[in-house]
Amino acid sequence: MSDWMIELVDITKRYGNIVANDHVTLRIRRGELMTLLGPSGCGKTTALRCITGQNIPDEGRVFIDGKDVTDVPTHRRELGMVFQNFALFPHMTVFENVEFPLMIRRMDKSERAKLVRDALKLVRLEGYEKHYPRQLSGGQQQRVGLARALVYRPKVLLLDEPLSNLDAKLREEMRFEIKDLQQRLGITAVYVTHDQEEALALSDRVAVMNKGCVQQVGTPAEIYDHPATKFVADFIGLSDFIPAKVVAVEPERVVLDVQGERIAAPPSESVSPGLDVLLFIRPNDVRLRAAEGDRQPNEIAGVIAKSTYLGDKFDYRVDVHGVEVRVQTHGAERFDNGQAVYVYLPHERCRIILESLVCPVR
Amino acid sequence: MASFLKKHRYALISFVMLLPGLASFFGLFFYPMLVTVVRSFRPEGVTTAWTLRNYTDFLGQASTRQVILLTFFLAIACTLLSIVLSVPLTLLLRQKLAGHRLFRLTILVPITVPGLVGALGLLLFYGSRGWLNLLLMQGLHVVQEPVKINYTLTGLVIFYVWHYFSYTAVTTLSTLEGLDPAFEEAARVAGASPWQVLRHVVIPLIMPGILAGSVLTFMAAFGAFSIPLITGGSYRPLAVQIYKQIEVFTPARWEAASAMAVVMALLQLVFLTFYMRVLRRPTAS
Repeated sequence: MSDWMIELVDITKRYGNIVANDHVTLRIRRGELMTLLGPSGCGKTTALRCITGQNIPDEGRVFIDGKDVTDVPTHRRELGMVFQNFALFPHMTVFENVEFPLMIRRMDKSERAKLVRDALKLVRLEGYEKHYPRQLSGGQQQRVGLARALVYRPKVLLLDEPLSNLDAKLREEMRFEIKDLQQRLGITAVYVTHDQEEALALSDRVAVMNKGCVQQVGTPAEIYDHPATKFVADFIGLSDFIPAKVVAVEPERVVLDVQGERIAAPPSESVSPGLDVLLFIRPNDVRLRAAEGDRQPNEIAGVIAKSTYLGDKFDYRVDVHGVEVRVQTHGAERFDNGQAVYVYLPHERCRIILESLVCPVR
Repeated sequence: MASFLKKHRYALISFVMLLPGLASFFGLFFYPMLVTVVRSFRPEGVTTAWTLRNYTDFLGQASTRQVILLTFFLAIACTLLSIVLSVPLTLLLRQKLAGHRLFRLTILVPITVPGLVGALGLLLFYGSRGWLNLLLMQGLHVVQEPVKINYTLTGLVIFYVWHYFSYTAVTTLSTLEGLDPAFEEAARVAGASPWQVLRHVVIPLIMPGILAGSVLTFMAAFGAFSIPLITGGSYRPLAVQIYKQIEVFTPARWEAASAMAVVMALLQLVFLTFYMRVLRRPTAS
């Protein structure tokens, strides 16, 4: 038995001149929840539709449970899917909606009733069997959608922006409910979203996509702390990108030139002296202090250009020799506009990113 | 007075604005109907006395039952065939294959062509020397003798369908195109074959559209006049029979014609009420 429940191998899908998926390769483990994360038009939905069979890739193969299903029609792929607009059948009751996949499979009536009851219990909707979808709230409708997707125990659960049509509070609630359900059932799940917070909260692993390419695949922490490309860093959380030049590559560190000052960063692959790179750091990892006394290593001089009070923190734009660095501090110490400061970029929080890297995962 | 005007200003303005509509409703719709109903209770050529003879004469005739049956048969057959024709046709049009725009316009042709012109065209096309028979005899060599279609009951049904199916097709098409494709996707992913998707999801969901369109087709076919007048031969449904009372008899039998028209309207009303009730049940609630 293969470790992978779903494999997309070197998928390319074009719509006319537009390349929606450009050599996408993704492998999803049994029982894990993987999120396809990216802005609209990044190709995440195209990739999902390759899994369901609603898209036939122009190149590449799709495997589910070790079997090549590239040419298998959608209805024979044994999938469960939850839709952004719920897509419950309006002419059927809740019971009939959840029963639908079983009815299609010509399952025995009493067996059906039992499975439907189990599924509705799973999503805490007992007692709503005779309601019609339009009589339910958005959250309840999406729970019916979940029950319908899970009722026949499919191999894979696909979720296409399932929470986008719900209000913010409910979204957070349902997020935990989906995660809990997925873990209890141990089902493999693919979750498509453009909401980075949702992706970080839910996923075992995240695949970040942009312009039809997979940018990076990793755990939420890996994606957040070690973004592989400028796009990933920018898409998830706040970022500072400081133009720099590699001065020296040493075993323990890489020395960078930032506007004539020396900054040390942890070792990084494929860098060599003389290379133009971006020094990436999260604004809340940067420290500020008043420009007094000697500068420490990895400190550069700057001037506060703009400060904004955000309630639980201060947001500063610091002018460092003409480059704007964003800093967020939680400390009590306040800095005024025009004040000279030392900007400390902690060595271990610095990352080197190559701007030229666009499609790293092939 | 002034305070009354001020208080009911908006009601008065609404009433004044409604006047043209009310006037045309009463003048063009209600008054002629009233005249017809009143006249149907007058003895022939008399405008003062009352009688039921127009009704008893008409309903007492042996041929009346056959005429009513024929009218219903033509209308129902035409409606059913229109549904059977419209559903696959609109499913195909929805795929937006090459040339679908031209086809969409073609569906509307029977509505825009006047009935008389259409009927003559059909007679020419289906005649013993028409294009259809030429194709069958000289093109495909499948028959020796021309197939007789004109002035047969089958032919009449074909002509009815040609002229009245557009109503069903157009409403079915617009309902189908308004259908969210997510329903079908959900059904496919849940394991339904294309046929099962059609049967369990698409058809039930477009049923209101099919119903609305087929009601229009039924009403038009029930009151059909120019098609059966020209192509019906010995088959004369109610509208043609009513026309005969005026055209064939001298002096024209306006009173008998009025009674027949009232009977026709009542029959249609009763049938439609029944039809709506039966067909609406599965999609209701």
